[in-house]
Amino acid sequence: MPELHQLVLAGADERDLTRIDEYRAVGGYAQLERARGLEPQAILDQLQASNLRGRGGAFFPTGRKASFLAKGTGKPTYLVVNADESEPGTFKDHEILLRVPHRLIEGCLVTAHAIGSQNVFVYLRGEYLDCFEVLRAALEEVHAAALLRGVTIVVHRGAGAYICGEELALLESLEGKRGQPRSKPPFPAVTGLYAAPTLINNVETIATVPKILELGAAEFAALGTPDSTGTRVFCLSGNVVGGGNYELPMGITIRELIYDVGGGMAEGRPLKAVIPGGSSFPILTADEIDTPLSYDALAKVGTFLGSGVVIAIDDRCCMVQLGLRVAQFYMHESCGKCTPCREGTRWMVQLLRKIEAGEASQGELDLLLSVCDRILGKCLCPLGDAAAMPIASYVDKFRAEFQAHLDEGGCPFAGESSLEDLFAPVDQHTQQPVAVGVST
Amino acid sequence: MSAPSFAEEVREIAAQYPQSRSAVLPALRLAQERHGGWLPPAAFEEVGEALGLTPAYCLSVASFYDMFHLEPVGRHLVEVCTNICCGLEGAQGVLEAFERELGVAPGETTEDGSVTLRAVECLGGCGWATIVAIDDRQRRAVKAADVPALVEELRGA
Amino acid sequence: MASSELVTVVVDGRSVQVPKGIGLVETALAAGVEIPVFCYEPRLGAAIGACRMCLCEVEGMPKLQAACTMTAQDGMVVRTAQTSEKASEGQEAVLEFILVNHPLDCPVCDKGGECPLQDLTFRWGPGNTRMTFPKRTFDKPIPISPTIALDRERCILCYRCTRFSDGVAEDGQLIARNRGAQSMIATFEDLPYRAPFSGNVIELCPVGALTSTQYRFLARPWEIQNTPSVCGLCPVGCNIHATTREGKVKRILSRNHPEVDQGWLCDKGRFAFPHLYADDRIVDPLRRAGRRRFEEISWEDALDEAERLIRGAEGRVLLALSGSETVEQAYALSKLARQGLGSDAVVMPEPTFAELDAFRAPLSAIGAAEIVVVVGDQPVAERAPVVDLWIRGARRAGAEVLEVTPSGDIQAPPGGAPEACRALARDHDEVGTRLREAQRAVVVWSGSPQGIGQLAALASTLGFGGKPGSGVFYLPATPNGRGVAEAWAAAGEGGATQPTHVGVLLISGDEAASDPQVRDLANRAESVIATTMFRPSVSGGFVDLVLPGTSYLERDGTFVNLEGRLQRARRAVIPPGPDELAWTAQLAARFGVEVSPYPAKVFEEVSAIAYGGVSYGAVGERAELVERPPVPASAGAGTAPRRSAGGGPLQLLRYRPLFSGPAVERVPELQFQRPEAEVELAAQDAQVRGISSGDPVRVSSNGTSVELRARVNPRLVAGAVRAAIEHVGALAGGVEVSRVSGGRKVSGDAEPEASQ
Ligand SMILES: Cc1cc2nc3c(=O)[nH]c(=O)nc-3n(C[C@H](O)[C@H](O)[C@H](O)COP(=O)(O)O)c2cc1C
Ligand code: SF4
Ligand code: FES
Repeated sequence: MPELHQLVLAGADERDLTRIDEYRAVGGYAQLERARGLEPQAILDQLQASNLRGRGGAFFPTGRKASFLAKGTGKPTYLVVNADESEPGTFKDHEILLRVPHRLIEGCLVTAHAIGSQNVFVYLRGEYLDCFEVLRAALEEVHAAALLRGVTIVVHRGAGAYICGEELALLESLEGKRGQPRSKPPFPAVTGLYAAPTLINNVETIATVPKILELGAAEFAALGTPDSTGTRVFCLSGNVVGGGNYELPMGITIRELIYDVGGGMAEGRPLKAVIPGGSSFPILTADEIDTPLSYDALAKVGTFLGSGVVIAIDDRCCMVQLGLRVAQFYMHESCGKCTPCREGTRWMVQLLRKIEAGEASQGELDLLLSVCDRILGKCLCPLGDAAAMPIASYVDKFRAEFQAHLDEGGCPFAGESSLEDLFAPVDQHTQQPVAVGVST
Repeated sequence: MSAPSFAEEVREIAAQYPQSRSAVLPALRLAQERHGGWLPPAAFEEVGEALGLTPAYCLSVASFYDMFHLEPVGRHLVEVCTNICCGLEGAQGVLEAFERELGVAPGETTEDGSVTLRAVECLGGCGWATIVAIDDRQRRAVKAADVPALVEELRGA
Repeated sequence: MASSELVTVVVDGRSVQVPKGIGLVETALAAGVEIPVFCYEPRLGAAIGACRMCLCEVEGMPKLQAACTMTAQDGMVVRTAQTSEKASEGQEAVLEFILVNHPLDCPVCDKGGECPLQDLTFRWGPGNTRMTFPKRTFDKPIPISPTIALDRERCILCYRCTRFSDGVAEDGQLIARNRGAQSMIATFEDLPYRAPFSGNVIELCPVGALTSTQYRFLARPWEIQNTPSVCGLCPVGCNIHATTREGKVKRILSRNHPEVDQGWLCDKGRFAFPHLYADDRIVDPLRRAGRRRFEEISWEDALDEAERLIRGAEGRVLLALSGSETVEQAYALSKLARQGLGSDAVVMPEPTFAELDAFRAPLSAIGAAEIVVVVGDQPVAERAPVVDLWIRGARRAGAEVLEVTPSGDIQAPPGGAPEACRALARDHDEVGTRLREAQRAVVVWSGSPQGIGQLAALASTLGFGGKPGSGVFYLPATPNGRGVAEAWAAAGEGGATQPTHVGVLLISGDEAASDPQVRDLANRAESVIATTMFRPSVSGGFVDLVLPGTSYLERDGTFVNLEGRLQRARRAVIPPGPDELAWTAQLAARFGVEVSPYPAKVFEEVSAIAYGGVSYGAVGERAELVERPPVPASAGAGTAPRRSAGGGPLQLLRYRPLFSGPAVERVPELQFQRPEAEVELAAQDAQVRGISSGDPVRVSSNGTSVELRARVNPRLVAGAVRAAIEHVGALAGGVEVSRVSGGRKVSGDAEPEASQ
């Protein structure tokens, strides 16, 4: 049975680490002190050697990203923490922020020192009021303890938009604009916040940094697998007994996470499918759950580790309904800037609704795949792909179920699916000026 | 000392940022609080005035984000996550229970103006489904059966 | 940014050399390959890569790339839809997505026939649609202002219009609202898009979503003609196309002159053309028949009458010019007066300053400047609108822009321009030093020319004469004041004289006819002959003979803009009667002066004297700026400003609004753009008087007063108040402003009441 191995969440089960004295009691802020005595480059070297890779979804090597930061621009360098966590299935940053805020702050200060930044912005998901309060209190303690040394940490609250988790949309939003992604290049490391060099990292990534210094890069890298080093706070949800966040070394299998760590499927029902990574990624069937949760292993089965998500789905779920609900999410969250995503997600929803109703023709099922294909690789940011990829995978892996909807002229679950009639915010009533018939 | 005016508060927030435009979201949030939970046209004028932006610009920004309300809302806001993880764990039943108890459809406000019910996208509590946010405070593992008591609590509040 | 280094790029197998860093769309064009675009428009700032129409394959990159966001790098190998299957599929996909929600109403769309989307669909698009669901529907079309209509169903959300509003004009009024599939173009609370440059969004729109209310359903592209000309309504002289159909002007479009206007027009230039068809337009000559009555007479009789009146004056002739005449018109009239009638008496529309020519530069120099300083009392946008866009562009490009004006970054008192220039010229002045050290520095003078010698002195001190990227701009008040002055000078020897006794006053143009000073002279003249387009200009019984005038859109000829650029105006439509040149030629003949009725001939005569003999044909459709003369030795003399005296402690800054004048007044759909009946006060002055924004106030001086609404402008310098000329009547100089106690709030469109 796999053992929990806590780095980011270490100590939080035993103590109230939202308090600075408790955090100090488990060695908190010692790494900050050490780091400040080190040359910035030495810290960056440690990050490189640890092979820490981003926990926000794209899994980009953190040390490498920091090395891209433009130097000598005459502009300040900014550190931005991505705490916008909104990928369906993801709730680890929520837990980290609530329970180990000081580890994140320590990570911010260490990283800021490493990249020569005086200004840190934490872009916090607007809905996380609880985290905001915890973080604010923690920052007050840090301020009182005179740990900031001239560095400012501003917690900037978002206001409800999934796309603001995408790094350039986040920067736009932080600059006081609509959160629409900018086209890359230029990359944030050169032209980021206020057109200055900017390093953007996920909450978990930054909260891992003090632990890497504490353990040393080699010991950290020895955890997990060669390509996916260290631990992850895995987000387990769906029809499982024990949904929650579990920090473990990377490389444990999906099966171990669901059955050994998570206590198995609720009511002992059969597992039908697993969404790894988050709703943006291709689905796996129950046959594929011996895949280890590491970058390479998941790539081999055509999917991703994303933000460390595992959504376990039991046999009661209609895959067309799942597809419809996921498509509705992306339609709702598409920023509206680029054509394929804005128009394509809506079209997908229209097609899926028709398939679910049993009114679609064979041609329309093919059309759905064609629409996905026409979105893929053509959008300004990855959100379009994030809509097209999973839907295409549902059809691919559960083709028979889609086909049954066509053949039977309706949903084979006959009203008994767990996602039956699930209401989506795209259909929400509003008196605002909107297009008529957008969602249908 | 008298309470700071809206413009003063906004300018204080803006001072945290290298460019004052960054304060648009916090200023809109503050304006929304001051206007009973939504943003009437006057709110955009106030925010624009305080930050040197046009009301149109402020509307353009606000209308992009789900947490800004461009029409009146009730004194309490009940938001039920109906994304897939909560959906798998019975979110639709919870939403329907609220619809029954409150007598409104998602997006609507009760006639007495006390509660607005909304379905929302993933609230970041997938392992603790179903998540219901009441006035931005999240309740975990809400079941349809819990709803009458929650509504009772709201009506009492 | 493009550099001078050349790089080699291969596009669809064709190798081209282009400057490193230029856009890939331009690079492909250089290779003879057209990459279709919708959202891409370099004049709107950095590419946003939104529409995805320009997807291409770039060797070494796994995914398709938006060509508009890429720049040319050495060794780049690009394959567009013409040679790459992947790119072609991408393009087809994007086009299909664009059409998913685009109505198929091309036959009734104003854009039909000149629509990039229609063309692309025709060339690349799918023959039939796979989209069988209902499209987005909206109420349509909705007016977003009296001049612009919006059809949201046709909108493809390329964000060109909103980027213009936000990032070029910086008016922040036309916005995108909502998100995703619900995104739409809107204004705040459906209020009209009220801003000086709003009409540019019509031309920017690549489909028929934003259309001109003046042009809607009027003409199909294949029935129209476009005449290249220049706008004659302000001293910028933006280059235009006048679209005509069946002999009438239907719309005005921009015609990008990269040094002058970058393809932008103000709404006056774009929308004021219907004044040609105003009800009160004079089409036949009029002779006074009673105290306040005119009778229509034939042209033959009119010329006889003119001859009679002129002969009666025995050389005591005074010519009053408007500054809106073409060079040729002004020359013809001046030649008649000076050579035929022997009179050098003239009222010029405004003074001109040849001593600034040594620091002449194209307007684009503002956009490229490192530092721009603006001095003077008149708001730039009201006086020479497109100059305001150049200044904004400079600021966005990173230039330091400093306004040393009554409501500027550095507040200057009214009439403070000369002093500001003097201060900048001082040795240790900080801004002055930056101006001196910059390779590209510009000073703009917007307002009364009182003390303008200081500007020439400053430019000379700062060494602008030797720096081609640096220059000064004086913004004149009239469209062609400079050309008119040059034409007058070319028509005779010596300078102007002051008439002691006016026999006949020859008034040229509506502006001169409405000028209080000219009206004064008219009252003292024995007889008055006026050329105007509109009846009210000659009402009041002071004119004896009226000869119908024409508009710049009806004339052939040349204009000299504020840069000193000679530009060619072309006749887009035929005027209702003979134009000024035609009858001046006939009249001149009666006095033994030879004036050609042909502008080309007249121009050649002027040119030989004033423009170095350049031929009419050589002026060209995209006129070039002539070279600078050497810096005059005397640059530096400047007169001290005169303080205007008056009856109150506050200095009244009167400005002539952009949206004013005889043309604007006649276009109902432009009335919403006219300034509110308000007076601006500095915060401090308002406070001591207990005035706040919106209060009704009385502005008074020496027993004259007007009632206006107050607007507190925190940027305005204390001691100054500002109002549009049309709202303050004859008030000038020192005034007092007081709250009208118990007064109602004056509403925005209330007429100001003038009382004695
Ligand atoms: C649509 C979209 C949403 C995203 N949301 C998040 C998010 O909520 N949190 C996050 O850390 N990264 C998110 N990302 C990834 C970020 O763009 C970025 O890669 C990440 O913050 C970098 O940090 P890391 O390297 O530490 O992972 C999102 C990306 C996309 C395309
Ligand atoms: S892919 Fe979607 S979210 Fe991303 S830029 Fe395009 S429209 Fe916006
Ligand atoms: S033209 Fe390139 S994305 Fe629109």
